[in-house]
Amino acid sequence: MASVFPSEDWFNEVRSVFNSDDSYRGAGGGSCECRSAMKIGRRVFLLNFEGIECAPVVEADKGALADVDFYLDMPLADWQAMVKDIAANGGASLHYTLNTLDLDRAEGLSHSVHEDQFREDLFFRYNQTFQFFFDASARIKTSFG
Amino acid sequence: MVKGPYIGYILGDLNYRREPGMSEAVDLATVEIELKLDWMNRQGEWQTHAKPGKSGLTLADIQIGSYGETPEISDNMTGRPRGAQARPGSFRIGNYSVRTKNEIWLENASFLYEEALQRQWSSATDVPWHTIEPLPDDIEEAQCELATFLTEVEFVAGDVPARWISETTPDYFEPRNVLLAQVMDEARHMDVFRKRALANGGGLMQATGGTAGVVGSIDLARDFTEMSSRLHISGEGAVLTIFRMGELMAYNDAEKAIYRLCAQDEARHVAFGVMHMRYMSEEAPDRHEEIECYLDEAERQILAGSQNPAGNQTASSEALAILLGGGVAHYDEGFRKLMAIRRRQLVEYMKRVKSAGFGKRFENGRSQVKEMMAVSAA
Ligand SMILES: [Fe+2]
Ligand SMILES: [Fe+2]
Repeated sequence: MASVFPSEDWFNEVRSVFNSDDSYRGAGGGSCECRSAMKIGRRVFLLNFEGIECAPVVEADKGALADVDFYLDMPLADWQAMVKDIAANGGASLHYTLNTLDLDRAEGLSHSVHEDQFREDLFFRYNQTFQFFFDASARIKTSFG
Repeated sequence: MVKGPYIGYILGDLNYRREPGMSEAVDLATVEIELKLDWMNRQGEWQTHAKPGKSGLTLADIQIGSYGETPEISDNMTGRPRGAQARPGSFRIGNYSVRTKNEIWLENASFLYEEALQRQWSSATDVPWHTIEPLPDDIEEAQCELATFLTEVEFVAGDVPARWISETTPDYFEPRNVLLAQVMDEARHMDVFRKRALANGGGLMQATGGTAGVVGSIDLARDFTEMSSRLHISGEGAVLTIFRMGELMAYNDAEKAIYRLCAQDEARHVAFGVMHMRYMSEEAPDRHEEIECYLDEAERQILAGSQNPAGNQTASSEALAILLGGGVAHYDEGFRKLMAIRRRQLVEYMKRVKSAGFGKRFENGRSQVKEMMAVSAA
């Protein structure tokens, strides 16, 4: 059965794929200590990495953005386009990697409430881990509600 | 005193009985030696039971008792591992110039070191080289120009921290180990751009001179903090932006992977600089003015564009604009993108310096970066 994007179920299904595949620990992936959020339209999902694992993903309200190192923010339609591209190509194609979305959009993708660049830089420092996570979504069935 | 048969022998400790008829060759099986074992009494702190955490057994997990204590000033000139008992007769094997903690320290060095070890990648096998296909000539030439420039830059990025490793007392092994890991990272960066240049029908271009002048002058720093502010904060902050741009303008998955993975490493090197400067901000008020001067100097270079390959009017910035625009014919569009990304780079630079504890310079008129951004945006 397909999981609806975005939802806690969808994120946690991707999380199971991510946590159970050792190939995501090598090739520039590996230990990652970071608290992040995905802001999808008006909804917020907390994505925390501890050591080599992603912790259970929970939905939160907007106030939770103050506590994360950085959050990735796009309108729902843009997130859906990214997830569809990943599903179609088995991983993000050239125009849909997280770094590309960040630099290619006038408003950027990665933001923070605190504006502490040391914490915002974690998006760059752990970029491959986040890319692996979303690329893992190609291995689950997604529906868009 | 323990006695026993011993395989092998220790000069001076032999005390064997030669039986009648026995050859003069030592029969090791019958040698009886007196083991001294006095080394057993010369222990550092004992009864430590380090336990692995979620990331395995890390350096942070073994900061136990005296092993976790770093002296403010180190008198260790003998290579003695921190926490080991001193050996009075040992030679001075290192004439370490960095023996004051705040000269090199940062709070998260052991964390950065473990991160570096655990997030390594191979330029041979983790880059999907098979995805590279023939590109239009101007694009391939621009990629090769950038690859040539970055190969040069990575030599400096490796050589400079490497010089400071053997200058640093083993008592501060955590930052030392981060620098050792950085040298490995920079070797990989150097090789991956060389590989890219040779992978798709192109080759290396004329040496760009990218390491002469200001970038080369990073190596003239006589003080570690001076070096770190030039290398980790301003220099590698700029290179991080180039790598992020490289990922954006990649024409295949191989280039995507190269630039993304280099950017990760680079962000770690920048993090070292920010955390070291933050430590100086908190622990060395007597050096604040001096550090402000390092930042003055770095900003003059950034604003002149000479240190900043994402600046303008250098071969590498032309190459970047051609790649961003999608060919020589779209240079103007590429240049506009380049300038927009450069503004973000300056914002990130200011926020890093602020995070490091020196943000007042952007409010009190000392720094010109804000004004420069306003002019370039107009
Ligand atoms: Fe590098
Ligand atoms: Fe670097």
